[in-house]
Amino acid sequence: MLVLRGYSRIVGILLLALGVFIIVAPFLWVAMQSFKYEIQILQGTWFTMPTLYNYIDVLWSQRSDFMTNVANSMIVATSSTICVLLVGTLAAYSLSRLKWKRWIAAVFLGWTLIFNMIPPLTLVGPWFLIFREIGLYQTLFALTLTHITLNLPMTVWMMMAYFNELPKDIEEAAMVDGCRRIDAFWRIALPLVRPGLIAAGVLAFVFSWNEFAVALNLTGRATATVPVAIAQFSQQYEVQNGQMAAASILSTIPALLLMFFGQRFIVQGLTMGAVK
Amino acid sequence: MALAQAPASEAPRPGLSDFIDRHLGWFTLGPAIVLLVLLTIYPIVNLVLMAGSTINFQQGHEIWKFSLWSNLATLLHDGIFGVALRNTAIYAAISVAVEMVLGLGLAILVSSMRRGKGILRTLLIVPILLPPVAIGSMWKLMYSFDFGVLNQIVTGVGLQPVNWLGSTSLALMSVIIVDVWHWTPFVFLILFAAVEGLPSEVIEAARIDGAGTWSIVFKIIIPLLKPAIVVAALFRMILAFKVFDEIFLLTSGGPGNATEVVSLHLYQVFFEQNQLGYGAMMSVAIIAATVVFIWIGHRVSSAMGRL
Amino acid sequence: MKWTTTGRRLVATAIIAPLLAAPALGASFLDVGKQAPINVLINASPWYDGFQAVVALYEKQTGNKVNLEVTPFPGMLEKARNAVRAGGTSPLDLLNIDSQNVVEFYAGGFLEPLKEIDPSFALPKEVLTLDDAGCWDAKKQFRTCSTGKLMGYAPNGNIELFYYRKDVYDKLHLKVPKTFDDVLANCKVLQKPPKSYGYVVRGQKGDSIFYDMNAFMLAYGAKYVKDAENGDFTVEINSPQALAALKKYIQIQKACGPANAGSLGQGDLIQLVQTGKGLQAQAVIAAFPNFDNPRKSAVVDKMNAAVLPAATPGGKPGVAIGSWVFAIPKNASEAGKKGAIAFSKWFLTYKAQYAYAEAGGIPVRTDVFSSDLKNKEKYRWMTAYLDEIKYGKQILGFKEGPAINQMLGLRYNQALVGELSPAAALNKGAQDMYDLFKKDGRKTGMLPPLPE
Repeated sequence: MLVLRGYSRIVGILLLALGVFIIVAPFLWVAMQSFKYEIQILQGTWFTMPTLYNYIDVLWSQRSDFMTNVANSMIVATSSTICVLLVGTLAAYSLSRLKWKRWIAAVFLGWTLIFNMIPPLTLVGPWFLIFREIGLYQTLFALTLTHITLNLPMTVWMMMAYFNELPKDIEEAAMVDGCRRIDAFWRIALPLVRPGLIAAGVLAFVFSWNEFAVALNLTGRATATVPVAIAQFSQQYEVQNGQMAAASILSTIPALLLMFFGQRFIVQGLTMGAVK
Repeated sequence: MALAQAPASEAPRPGLSDFIDRHLGWFTLGPAIVLLVLLTIYPIVNLVLMAGSTINFQQGHEIWKFSLWSNLATLLHDGIFGVALRNTAIYAAISVAVEMVLGLGLAILVSSMRRGKGILRTLLIVPILLPPVAIGSMWKLMYSFDFGVLNQIVTGVGLQPVNWLGSTSLALMSVIIVDVWHWTPFVFLILFAAVEGLPSEVIEAARIDGAGTWSIVFKIIIPLLKPAIVVAALFRMILAFKVFDEIFLLTSGGPGNATEVVSLHLYQVFFEQNQLGYGAMMSVAIIAATVVFIWIGHRVSSAMGRL
Repeated sequence: MKWTTTGRRLVATAIIAPLLAAPALGASFLDVGKQAPINVLINASPWYDGFQAVVALYEKQTGNKVNLEVTPFPGMLEKARNAVRAGGTSPLDLLNIDSQNVVEFYAGGFLEPLKEIDPSFALPKEVLTLDDAGCWDAKKQFRTCSTGKLMGYAPNGNIELFYYRKDVYDKLHLKVPKTFDDVLANCKVLQKPPKSYGYVVRGQKGDSIFYDMNAFMLAYGAKYVKDAENGDFTVEINSPQALAALKKYIQIQKACGPANAGSLGQGDLIQLVQTGKGLQAQAVIAAFPNFDNPRKSAVVDKMNAAVLPAATPGGKPGVAIGSWVFAIPKNASEAGKKGAIAFSKWFLTYKAQYAYAEAGGIPVRTDVFSSDLKNKEKYRWMTAYLDEIKYGKQILGFKEGPAINQMLGLRYNQALVGELSPAAALNKGAQDMYDLFKKDGRKTGMLPPLPE
């Protein structure tokens, strides 16, 4: 990579530190609010005796199903991410390397893009109808399917960009040596786009983890996900900021853990493919 | 799907993987096509049909009436839609441009670090982990005129408190700041992966030829990143045109029409006022506007590239 | 340490109180017989805990099962629409719908009149009808009980009251204002920005300012349309009365409100009151319990409630009701409909409503308001509520309601932040409304424009 030396290295580190500070500070501020009582949050008080009240209320109050919500989100986000990576990466490789007729590629990519532009508000009604008709309403499976579809356009486009960035000659040389296309994909191209796979996976995961509009309509109380639960703290007459902050922090922890281990899983899976 | 399970061991079963290899096109693109056919055709066709109709409910039944021309006429005379479109374009242009520059800078800086890349990447993406409803509510607290942390800082250094969300001239900038904070990590993540995937020999070779840091960045790294930059900008623009939760919670489009954006207006018409036909027409118009905006963005950036 | 002990005590009281109340009242609750389980669409709200406690009591008393589909407020309308529109059997048997949006459900024929499920169903006379929130006349396409059918009832009648700091009033020898001019007089003394504000009213674009402006509009005798009940949709929002109301509102906002009045929403307003900065306020009754909650408020036991101010001495206050309506979908299962009716009968009895109020709900029976509860410190708002509710009006009881709410919610806000003059804002609002009615084929017209 680019190696900075001397003076520019110091400037680089300073700039980076500033960037990290600006990005992380509001998050830490949210974390701070989660340990305060509502009145202290409203008054903007800085130094308070921390309390766990918000966490206790989010996790164990009578109306709370937060543990179930987290479990649901984990199932949906993990399975939809794995599926969309699989489906999307294959499609991206296909469009990037195989000789598709131009119009097929154009229609496919254009369609995914238009689909991605549709306001979610107008998607929800038809999907509700589809899943009611086939009896999958209020199931996690239905929600997973919709999340795969929602994240497919971005995954395909991202992975295409990463495949296009790779020089084609390595694969072509291998194929001249008698390697099949499928092996060129699996053993050469895929390991090389590993950083891209991780980025696409993280984004698909995050978008699924925070998706609200579809989850609200396709789930019931037993299948509700974390964003639906968190929205309950934004009410008609008040926002329960303390609980919302606590729930947001609680929601990011499993997401971070899953992404951390998920990355290792992807990296290992690919190095296995690349052994030969 | 079967492809991923194809064993990568010494002796692959030639039958199956050969079969897949011969029909690789369908095995790779097929699953995506099936999914899109099943779950996207109906919503899109339905949207287009709705855009040409008026839909009423009587006796518990939907009644559709063809009214393409009157929906179009309504759209042309909808003053708020025009204002919202202008605000959205400003919002998208500024926030995406700023995010692209910051995201690219962060990606290159992080990748130039010798250690701690993993932890830096994790820290830099925390904003996109928070649910948008929480982002809106929390920034609203931070922007609070009387109690917010930002005005605490401003008054702490001896200035007058700033009316972040309540002044017509500042409100749009205030919501753009939130957007930049929220979505720079998105651009960073996409571009960081691309930078990490660059062949390091090229950069080293340039270094040996005596190229300076800036010229490596502009002459080598950025051109090589072009596919990823295009994708990041493309999806950021689409997301910017769809922005809803944050603005809804921060300003509800006000004061006046200062922060009214197309998705808020669509929400009012399609959802709150239940005008399904006209709302669908507006959705189609928003999609068209997004396409035009992206096309303009593409022309502008390629013109800048030629300079 | 103080926080934790108070907190614990509150939690303990919340858990124990219903348990203690239950056996004492147990024996003579209404017997509704064995019913199928029902699914109820209900929103997460300050009064949800009260409702949940009453439902638990119902389950215990009758052995009938009630599933509460707790939904975030922004998702309520969508879930209700999905339940009735998608065809097939509705997954929900009792829907809680905002009184503004419920018109759409009435007009669309999605709801079953309650008497058609059970001819013996009637609202007890003590139950507040909240200006006919639950009735619909399909022929007139208007919300009225005199000629319409009973489609639902309000589980919760929300109105805005005038709130003030009794400790500050006592110290400064102020009196509860009868008119908006009295409010202005009081806030001359109270307005000390940024330390304190004399009167806080919502000003944020949209429903916030539209709803709060009703207190002024109705008090000044302004009307939206001439006679919607009988089909005359002549627009009257640009009347001299409306102009006087809007000017008074802006005057009060400038003299008594914070600098960000133009973006002051529900959360901001309650924040100002709970932190002790807002010394007088106009806000919903649903907010009151929060003022006395030490976790949320710095003004515990210091707030008091009164009837909203009027335009002139001896005038009537302008009281807009923002309620919910419980209604039963036409496409619910037969057993579900029966179960929902049974629950409703039980829920509207005195005993159930009493228990509901005790657990933190806002009851809908007048006899609960005038019971011994009103003498308790915690329910000190009840007298003001009962005095005020008789002036309560459901506004915009026709299908264009949500659209008008947004049109005027924008125009008022533009007048407040200075984008338009008050007269111009009302003229523009009137034009918007006129165009809308014209498009819908209503009989409509306009007043001569106000001089700008």
